Amino acid sequence: MSMDGNSIPTGAVLVCGAGVAGIQASLDLSAAGFHVYLVEDKAAVGGGMARLDKTFPTGDCATCIISPKLVECMRDPNIEVLTMADVVKLDGEPGHFKATVLQRPRYVDIDKCTMCGDCSAVCPIEVPSAFDAQLGTRKAIDRVYAQAAPNAFVIQKRGRAVCSSGCPIDSSVQAYVALIAAGRFQEAADVIRRENPLPSICGRVCFHPCELKCNRGAVDEPVNIRGLKRFAMDQFPSMTPPADIPATGKSVAIIGSGPAGLSAAHFLALAGHQVTVFEALPVLGGMLSVGIPDYRLPPDILERDLAGIRSLGVEFKTRTAAGRDVSADSITNDFDAVFIATGAHESQKLDIPGENAKGVMHGADFLRQYALGEKPPIGKRVVVVGGGNTAIDAARTAVRLGAQKVMILYRRTRDEMPADPLEIDAAIAEGVEIQYLAAPIRAVAENGTLTMLRCKRMQLGEPDESGRRRPVPIEGSEFEIQLDTLIPAVSQSVDRKLAELFGLDVSRWGTIVTDEVTMAASRKGFFAGGDVVMGPSSVIDAIAHGKRAAKGIDNYLSGRPLDTGIARPSERPNPLCPDDLKKLKKKIEEADRVAPAERDVSERIRDFREVEHTYTAEEAQREARRCLNCGVCCECLRCVEACKAGAIMHEQTARTIELEVGAVVLAPGFEAFDGGRRGEFGFGHAQNVVTNVQFERILSASGPTQGHVVRPSDGKTPKRLAFIQCVGSRDTGCDNEYCSSVCCMAATKEAILAKEHEPDLDITIFFLDLRAFGKDFDRYYERARNMGIRYVRSFISRTFEMPDTKNLALAYFGPDRRQVEEEFDMVVLSVGFEPSEALLNQAGAMGIALNKWGFAETSELSPVDTSRPGVFVGGAFQEPKDIPDTVMQASAAAARAMALLSPARGTQVRVKQYPPQRDVTDEPPRIGVFVCHCGSNIASVVDVERVVERIKTLPHVVYAEHTVYTCADDSQARIKQHIAEHRLNRVVVASCTPRTHEPIFRDTLRDAGLNPYLLEMANIREQCSWVHAGDHEAATQKAIEIVRMIVARAAELVPLKDETAPVEKAALIVGGGIAGMTAALAIASQGFSVHLVEKSDTLGGTARRIYRTLDGSDVQAFLDTTIEKVNADNRITVHLNAKASKVEGHIGAFSSTIASNGQSRVVKHGVVVVATGATELRPHSYGYGTNDKVLTQLELSERLGRDEIRLPDRGTVVMIQCVEQRNGDHPYCSRVCCATAVKNALILRARYPQARIVVLYRDMRTYGFREAAYREARKQGVLFIRYDVEQPPELDAAGLLRVNEPSLGRTLELKPDMIVLAAPMIPRADREELSELLRVPLNADGFFLEAHVKLRPVDFASEGLFLCGTAHAPKSIGETLSQANAVAARAASILSRKTMPVGGQIAWVDPDKCISCMTCVHICPYHAPMIGRNNKAEIQGVVCMGCGSCTAECPAKAIELRHYLDNQILRALDFLLVGDSTEESVDLDYLEQVGVAPPRWHKGLD
Amino acid sequence: MKYAFFPGCSLESTAWDFDKSTRAVCKALGIELADIPEWVCCGSTPAHSSNASLAVALPVMNLQKARAAGYSDVLTACASCYARLRTANHKVNADAGERERAERITGKPYDGGVKVRHILDVLVNDFGVREIRGRIQKPLSGLRVASYYGCLLSRPPEVVAFDDAEHPSCMDDLVKASGAQAVDWPLKTECCGASLSISKTDVVNRLGYRLLSMAHRAGAECMVVACPLCQLNLDFRQPEARKGHADVPDIPVVYITQLLGLALGIPKGALGLDALTISADHLSARCAAAGRS
Repeated sequence: MSMDGNSIPTGAVLVCGAGVAGIQASLDLSAAGFHVYLVEDKAAVGGGMARLDKTFPTGDCATCIISPKLVECMRDPNIEVLTMADVVKLDGEPGHFKATVLQRPRYVDIDKCTMCGDCSAVCPIEVPSAFDAQLGTRKAIDRVYAQAAPNAFVIQKRGRAVCSSGCPIDSSVQAYVALIAAGRFQEAADVIRRENPLPSICGRVCFHPCELKCNRGAVDEPVNIRGLKRFAMDQFPSMTPPADIPATGKSVAIIGSGPAGLSAAHFLALAGHQVTVFEALPVLGGMLSVGIPDYRLPPDILERDLAGIRSLGVEFKTRTAAGRDVSADSITNDFDAVFIATGAHESQKLDIPGENAKGVMHGADFLRQYALGEKPPIGKRVVVVGGGNTAIDAARTAVRLGAQKVMILYRRTRDEMPADPLEIDAAIAEGVEIQYLAAPIRAVAENGTLTMLRCKRMQLGEPDESGRRRPVPIEGSEFEIQLDTLIPAVSQSVDRKLAELFGLDVSRWGTIVTDEVTMAASRKGFFAGGDVVMGPSSVIDAIAHGKRAAKGIDNYLSGRPLDTGIARPSERPNPLCPDDLKKLKKKIEEADRVAPAERDVSERIRDFREVEHTYTAEEAQREARRCLNCGVCCECLRCVEACKAGAIMHEQTARTIELEVGAVVLAPGFEAFDGGRRGEFGFGHAQNVVTNVQFERILSASGPTQGHVVRPSDGKTPKRLAFIQCVGSRDTGCDNEYCSSVCCMAATKEAILAKEHEPDLDITIFFLDLRAFGKDFDRYYERARNMGIRYVRSFISRTFEMPDTKNLALAYFGPDRRQVEEEFDMVVLSVGFEPSEALLNQAGAMGIALNKWGFAETSELSPVDTSRPGVFVGGAFQEPKDIPDTVMQASAAAARAMALLSPARGTQVRVKQYPPQRDVTDEPPRIGVFVCHCGSNIASVVDVERVVERIKTLPHVVYAEHTVYTCADDSQARIKQHIAEHRLNRVVVASCTPRTHEPIFRDTLRDAGLNPYLLEMANIREQCSWVHAGDHEAATQKAIEIVRMIVARAAELVPLKDETAPVEKAALIVGGGIAGMTAALAIASQGFSVHLVEKSDTLGGTARRIYRTLDGSDVQAFLDTTIEKVNADNRITVHLNAKASKVEGHIGAFSSTIASNGQSRVVKHGVVVVATGATELRPHSYGYGTNDKVLTQLELSERLGRDEIRLPDRGTVVMIQCVEQRNGDHPYCSRVCCATAVKNALILRARYPQARIVVLYRDMRTYGFREAAYREARKQGVLFIRYDVEQPPELDAAGLLRVNEPSLGRTLELKPDMIVLAAPMIPRADREELSELLRVPLNADGFFLEAHVKLRPVDFASEGLFLCGTAHAPKSIGETLSQANAVAARAASILSRKTMPVGGQIAWVDPDKCISCMTCVHICPYHAPMIGRNNKAEIQGVVCMGCGSCTAECPAKAIELRHYLDNQILRALDFLLVGDSTEESVDLDYLEQVGVAPPRWHKGLD
Repeated sequence: MKYAFFPGCSLESTAWDFDKSTRAVCKALGIELADIPEWVCCGSTPAHSSNASLAVALPVMNLQKARAAGYSDVLTACASCYARLRTANHKVNADAGERERAERITGKPYDGGVKVRHILDVLVNDFGVREIRGRIQKPLSGLRVASYYGCLLSRPPEVVAFDDAEHPSCMDDLVKASGAQAVDWPLKTECCGASLSISKTDVVNRLGYRLLSMAHRAGAECMVVACPLCQLNLDFRQPEARKGHADVPDIPVVYITQLLGLALGIPKGALGLDALTISADHLSARCAAAGRS
């Protein structure tokens, strides 16, 4: 790894991915003195683990164990968490990277959000919850999950809905549709009015460009948005004008009262300007009034919207034409600005001979005449020419005026017709005949009166500039139509006179030239909009012009740049792509567009009353519910109104952040395989087929079903449940030929949990190989089988959903080798792991190499190094793995970063500052009690409300409440708040064990300015709800008793002072194998000293016997290099032929005696690492030891490496797996044997192509990428034959090996030339000795036991002691290397400190009472007491573990254990036995019931 | 819309009603079909189970003829012909050896470029379901129909791919467009026994009963198919398949083109409905009723 020679690297690390791996790496790095940027793609940290219900094999609640980590991570001042962020670029080199991070907007200010949920309550949008794997729903503004950190809501947006962005006036269309769907009609009307000044009109005549864009249209038909708008406006027709609009004193003249003029008037009046509208006609509304017939837009509707505008104080002057009734000069002089919106009212001519004959009437004129009450004279036969809305309007008006035959001639086809298709349909329904591809060429008149129209047929030629195909006349196709009236309705044009009068620039078509954004015309102070600018156009476009012009005029009058704040066409188009829609199409419930009722044709053609009716409320809601909510958040802005904290920021945009870091740790995790890609299992089609991710959410108390096992189709509890394993794993069909490693155990866990929830549930797990290869996994599997969970070795090929019951039929091979078809109520697909698309992009941005399945490319011998130096990887992105392996690898990646950056340690850290501690000594106790539900862990058994009610009555208790998860961030914030509010000086948390949670709550107290020892915890989970799950009443009683005692004790608590002790910056590592050496190098590379103690005379351990890894790496070369490095490193002292004979002291300051070659040496160190390895059992079966044809896999590896194997060319090698393991004395799986067998089989195959190689196995446990090698071996002809544990292979005296193949039911005979046994990996013989020396535990199989199986896989429970390698459990070389590196990260968190804090909870000897009897010295397991200078006992504070043994034993009662003083304990007992008030006395019956002897010693009870 | 039409041998014989109804529906919708001049058998099952080269060359010969006649798209109705023609294209495109072999046998060059389309594909994707819905004259309101795709129409996905391989929906969409109700049922893509009809009739009868009874269980009154063998096995063999199973009534099994034809208002005589073993007269009666209303 190259690094710029002299410059100090950057002491900060970028960690990508805030799942359990990223969090672990961040915490390690921070503890070791580095600043961390933790970048997470999602809106909350926690990753996949936060979605789990429980974890295997211990059954710990996942939330309970990860929640403290999340809190710790969020609290760490050296971890900067960036959620909703991705790394888009990584420049630079190791030690000096520059990362570019793009953070997407959250739309909620994290610092202001109080998590009150008011916003969510008013949000009308409900979408499937991604966190609940689409099972439950969430609001568009919501929290990710209850305990999510950071503690803030988040708004989900997907661009902007196409309807909204397609609207010329940028209406929040999706918003009002959603509000109508929710039955909130008034709010819908308010949202419509916010943007639209003519809403009732638009609800009837808008040509609804929104509907043309509507994505629902791609599924079936667009949502009837116009109809919905009409509905809302008809519900709430009148507008309430805003109370006080401050007047600006400026005046604006608007010429023309059409939609553009009215729109401008509306918005200008709202801005406080005095507006006067001049209208030449006697009526207001322009084309709205004289262009659109009444049956489409009744006059009272127009009047309704006009009234709204009038109510704003706009003055209207009808019959006042500019230039005629009022002069141009007076307008210019009297007003500060002028807006011209006179429209396009001049009918355009057809330009055919005869057009001037009597009986020819132009469309716009015809309609205007009718509208103004002059009955236009029409004949019986009417022909309209044109294809726009005016033509249709003219035709339908003619029908209503009594024409007997009405025909429309259009020169193109229906597809090109610009009129609204619904209008065309309505016209046809009313009897209008449309002749397409026909054009008039001459109007023939007799005596000046029209009689006939000569026409020509057309055909479509090449497209013209408008994109439509140009009509071309067909020669000789002339025909004639007899008629009385001809109405040409081809187009209208603009009268240019007015523009000229004001001296404005016009185009060659006479339209006024304006700026397209501000609508400013060529002369200062003049603006124009609507048809006079665009030529004949739509109402909504005219309104848009008016709206923009109003803004432009307002800017002009206020002296701002004209385009300030003018909404431009939306720049956030909706990214729903055709593929999404295709998917949606299958998922969307079919619902036809709700057609509004309309009047019967026969009736409506007789008058001009409205044709269509408004929706009923029920119809409107039904139609609105068809909306797909494309934009997710609809931007109704209800949340903005609801949020009292002002935290909502809809305008937030993405930001780019540049980070300087020295190294990168990648821990982005995985994505679950999309079950729908394996369509045969019915996921996404059959309701009762769910994925394991969904099932995990179903099991979770915080999930969509509150932990009740129910099936989605009917919410009923299933009776028969099936798991199908390997969906999307071990599957070449979807390019995932690897094994996802965790699914077998996850399914087993989920089955156990489901069975615990529903004891009558029958569960079957269909599997291929049961891969229970981890520590204690096989025991867990056995437990599941003993609970009655059925395991069937068969791969299900598809599910059949029964149409009536929605059950699933599965076909499989049953025990008698016949096909069985069985029905299940519910099926869980165990989907595997995949790297996500987003992840691959990120990896691309980082420039790291990926393997063929898209995971980070690493090698067995450098498992956390990516192809790019300085970028390290941990967790499932390296290879699918379970939580402990993930945590281990994350620490390992952190250690690699630490080694790289060790010179920069401490350069960028920030120390957490606590407020000064409040002196509470003179205050009477004021106790706050917080009772935790722990999801349902406690609350489902203990009645927490009753506990709270009872506790509130206790003396000194000033506050008590219950919370769902007291350890979650928001709850802790509340605790702090209550401490301040109620001036609490003691806090009691009634929840779980203090072992995991006490540090967090103590920290909360420190944050609140209290001494941490003023906290006390009552364990009502482990000691109450878990053990008395069957008796809710007694459990509640007991919980009350426990909390009462603790409250009593809390009143007596006193503040204690923490001390510090110096740290010895050295490590003692026991074991010189590959684990010990790797740990030694990793620790030394960070600048610490190491004593490496090896009992033999050489370094290397078991690896000396291994030559190749499965991926072909050379182990011996690696070993030689490692030994060389160890020997060369002057910070490492190697002690050969040595053992640690005495280990004293404590974390940070150990003192050990190393005996080597007859000499003893005392060394001082801060940490201890156990890396003593394991060994292979010498088996007793198959004649091993007597028959030289029989050897173990390790021996075969060794001899293959040394080229000492000789076989006949066509010889037979039989490997027998699971020899003397997974049963009897060694009931665990040795994890590595299957991969070793595959490796050795492949090596043998290469050397002896003709040989027959047979592997006899029980389950092939080639997890992760090992699966590919297993497949390769099969491809190369290695035979894998399964055997049942009940019928193991037998070797007879003649050397014939018989094995029963269970799927064939036949016994096969083999004559092996060599038999290779997979013997178990067993712990070293000296384990017990070491276990006693270090006072660390072993598990039942003799392997060293870590502090916590899931989250502390390399720590011992005793602080400062660590373990790695096969001393912990069987594992491969790569896994050993990861764990050894992880130890270095964990060790660095101690060794990098100058001092260790020493707790205040230690024993203290009163010298006046001490009689120097030495009892304490003898009794203490940690050798803490000693006889001091004045011959009295003294306790060494740093050594004291606060166990209390000495206190209890001291005959003189001279020793007191701080924090467990006699009065504190007695007070608790007092409360338990006597009661908390004088009136109450001990309930002796109850005491007997619970098995407590009546306390005879207490006074008053004799 | 104009396509070269490959009828195939089934449509010339046992499935003449499929041929008739396909032509009638296309005509009604304005889809022009021009028979490939001098087309030959696609080889069907016998070719690909006995001579792999011929199984590619025979379809290729037809595609070459279509191209020579100036067409780029070949439409076929028979699911088996469709599969063979598509497979031939797939092989010629994926494997230069296959292409060379096919060209050697046919004696003409072929680049695998003629598109092979199934009638369902063309109806749904070229013509459009919405458009068809607009043309319905006699909606089959209330009729409950199970669409049966069989094993060939959507598989293998890398060769056909005009609909979801496991959960196809194109026929259901057309059923809905015709105004009928498409029932959801689980055996849409299960096998009917196909060409075992003669050699292993018992197997076909067993599978047929399974399909019929499941369709009945799902509430279907009739089934639609788009494959001559499916139709034969479920219709012609239905009396035999249901023997001893009183629980399943007569279930007409019609071609999708027959069902659509009825809804489009094509007279039943022009749809070959008289070829059915299990009469579908009550369906046409229903259409007649719909037409009157």
